[in-house]
Amino acid sequence: MTSPPPPDPEPFRAEVREWCRTHVPTGWRDAQTGVSDEEFVSFQKQWFGELREAGYAVPHWPLAWGGGLSVGEQIVLYQELAAHDAPRLVLAFVAIHHAASTLLAAGTDEQRARHLPAILDGEIWVQGFSEPDAGSDLASLRTAARREGDAYVVNGQKLWASGAKYAGWCLLLARTDPGAPKRHGISYFLLDMRSQGVEVRPIRQATGESHFSEIFLNDVEIPATHLIGPENGGWQVAQATLSAERGMTMLELAERLGHAGFTWLLDACRRPNAEGLRPIDDSLVLDRLAGFETEIAGLRAMCRSLAVRHETGHVGPADASVVKLYYSELLQRMTNFGADVAGLAGSTRIIKPMSSGWESGAWVLDFIGSWEWTIPGGTSEIQRTIIAERALQMPRA
Amino acid sequence: MSSDLTELHDELRAVAREVLAAARRRGADGEPPSLDRQTLTASGWLGLEVPEALEGAGATLAEVAVVLHEMGRAPLRSGYLGSAVLGVGALNLLEPTGRRDDLLGQIASGAVRVAVGLPTGDDVVGPVAPCYSLEEDGRRLRLRGRAAFVPDATDADRLLLLARDPASTLVVVAAQPTDAGLRVAEQRVLDLTRNLGEIAAEGAEVAEGSVWRFAADPEASARRLMDRAALAIACDSLGLAEAMMEATVAYAGVRHQFGRPIGSFQAVQHACADMLVQVMVSRELVGTAVELLGCETPGSGRAVSMAKSHACAMAVDVVGKAMQLHGGIGYTWESGVHAYLKRAVLNRSLFGSPTAHRKRLGQRYLDGVSVLSED
Ligand SMILES: Cc1cc2nc3c(=O)[nH]c(=O)nc-3n(C[C@H](O)[C@H](O)[C@H](O)COP(=O)(O)OP(=O)(O)OC[C@H]3O[C@@H](n4cnc5c(N)ncnc54)[C@H](O)[C@@H]3O)c2cc1C
Repeated sequence: MTSPPPPDPEPFRAEVREWCRTHVPTGWRDAQTGVSDEEFVSFQKQWFGELREAGYAVPHWPLAWGGGLSVGEQIVLYQELAAHDAPRLVLAFVAIHHAASTLLAAGTDEQRARHLPAILDGEIWVQGFSEPDAGSDLASLRTAARREGDAYVVNGQKLWASGAKYAGWCLLLARTDPGAPKRHGISYFLLDMRSQGVEVRPIRQATGESHFSEIFLNDVEIPATHLIGPENGGWQVAQATLSAERGMTMLELAERLGHAGFTWLLDACRRPNAEGLRPIDDSLVLDRLAGFETEIAGLRAMCRSLAVRHETGHVGPADASVVKLYYSELLQRMTNFGADVAGLAGSTRIIKPMSSGWESGAWVLDFIGSWEWTIPGGTSEIQRTIIAERALQMPRA
Repeated sequence: MSSDLTELHDELRAVAREVLAAARRRGADGEPPSLDRQTLTASGWLGLEVPEALEGAGATLAEVAVVLHEMGRAPLRSGYLGSAVLGVGALNLLEPTGRRDDLLGQIASGAVRVAVGLPTGDDVVGPVAPCYSLEEDGRRLRLRGRAAFVPDATDADRLLLLARDPASTLVVVAAQPTDAGLRVAEQRVLDLTRNLGEIAAEGAEVAEGSVWRFAADPEASARRLMDRAALAIACDSLGLAEAMMEATVAYAGVRHQFGRPIGSFQAVQHACADMLVQVMVSRELVGTAVELLGCETPGSGRAVSMAKSHACAMAVDVVGKAMQLHGGIGYTWESGVHAYLKRAVLNRSLFGSPTAHRKRLGQRYLDGVSVLSED
């Protein structure tokens, strides 16, 4: 069977380009440098609102819920947003990706109707999975949820929850059957962060900012209607949604690395250093740059292929891991090189703009921030094991 | 790519894999492993890009790339690169003439084997610098120059030599290896799966009607030809790496140490995972380059240099890791890993090293063009 030819993306590209020209705030990077939490949040909400008006905020959602762009159109959208150096949706990220795909995959009609429109109105979500003793081995999590009448009573501690201090809702994994094998006693909840007994304590991270937090849960009551998926079926729900949405988010990040990221790097190499020499005139520097451009081209093509395979249902068992691993380590190598080229002057950039991606041109901070990609969401080591076991079907340890 | 085309490629791939694996099994001891002429002719691959009117298949570079990839997976001497990839590639860029068409038909039928005299080292990038030049000698033309490491040179019945004519225009000179003033000599290399040779012209007299002209802009055409050569090697290296990755994964599943398969050790697993990631990235880069070069898209040169530099460096790493993970057996002649490693190393240098191709990419940054606007 021959598939119908994809619709010509060019008219849509022209539309997005025009929109970007008139809507991407000029000078936002400077304006977002050194801002307060409140200014950051209000900027993010305003930008989200603009994208929503245009129909660009949640292009990957089903049409009925306010999305409905084809994969081809989404690719174009992310390419153009990256090419026009638009701010990133940092605050809404978990809501529009993780929360939405969980609701769509496992939520009840009521749950979807309650939350999907709210997310479009700016409801912020956080992911409460990791715990002090459950990181890579997430299934060993100990936060306990005990059924009492119409509610579950939750006690425990979550760690590293990104954006918790801004969030209204939390995707929570908790143990509902302590007697069952690890993966079979976990349930998935939608937790209202304003509930009694929820306490958020920000943690300062390597860059000096405090975007992630501890969450303490003391006798927190969650109505039973906020259980998502079957009781004790939370692990499966989490697995299904963790990798499912990775395709388009990686595509966006790859495009940003290819546009803003590589452009900053070229700029850095063209700028004369303290001795008046341009790094780019050194053939070794030129060679490294060409290597990065090549790797980025490979990454972008891989992400486009993955997005297309998502649409046709041909995603390989570890494709998402391959892309995540390659992106995160390429980002790390590239920002490391940027920091090297920037030299001593690079260390004088002590703040980077909020709302940017992981490449802002503040190379030393970008380099340090690159571990935000190699550690969370399954470390690089865990991704390699997944690739070996699922894609290459190597024997399990 | 339409699903019809995908199916066609899958079929071609499956057949090629079988034919080449069988030929490798047939290989006699002490002989360089090779694909015999009869099997190659019967495969129909020689005429893939020859127009149908000339008894070819009228297919495209995309199909040739499938065959090249398979030939990397099962490296053999075959003459395919010289005749079908470079020979047909060069002829298709020339003004159509009776002689050109005859030669295309003869290549497709397997009657004539061709070698193309091109720069084969780092001189393939940068402004076109052919190895030969034509000089006027009274009313005659004489050819001078020397190309080294020319694929399939010593088996060739006809030679196509890229040269500048006295007006400094790029042309292709058609010659016979037996012509007076021409010398073809094998260059022995470690990699026994390739046949490389030197073609020296020491004032060889050029016969009437043997100077063939490009149909379009000669510089751009010659550039395309050299890009095609580089990309062919990238396809080959991708195949080499893929095959060695698969062999390693399979071996790691059956070889036991410490009471368990070595493939259950994380160090081995992670090394294999890295192989897969690298192979997948190369596959995208090579795929993009095949697509762009095949339809003459601007920017194809950049894509070729990306594919060549990535795939050929990657293959050496992957095959090297494969040797390591096979342990002692991997270091034996018998295991055959060495053959892949030698070919991977040769491929890395043939038609431009990774450094040379990256230099070509880097030149764009120096020229100050907006790199992104090329997309
Ligand atoms: C910036 C940031 C943001 C985060 N945001 C969130 C969030 O929003 N929500 C959330 O729930 N979590 C979040 N996390 C937590 C993150 O998912 C965990 O940190 C991660 O899963 C690793 O767990 P860990 O920190 O306990 O490290 P550990 O699991 O203790 O790992 C330590 C080291 O051991 C290695 N290791 C562990 N097990 C194995 C193994 N089997 N094989 C080989 N190596 C192994 C790891 O790769 C790592 O190098 C975030 C983390 C960071 C750094």
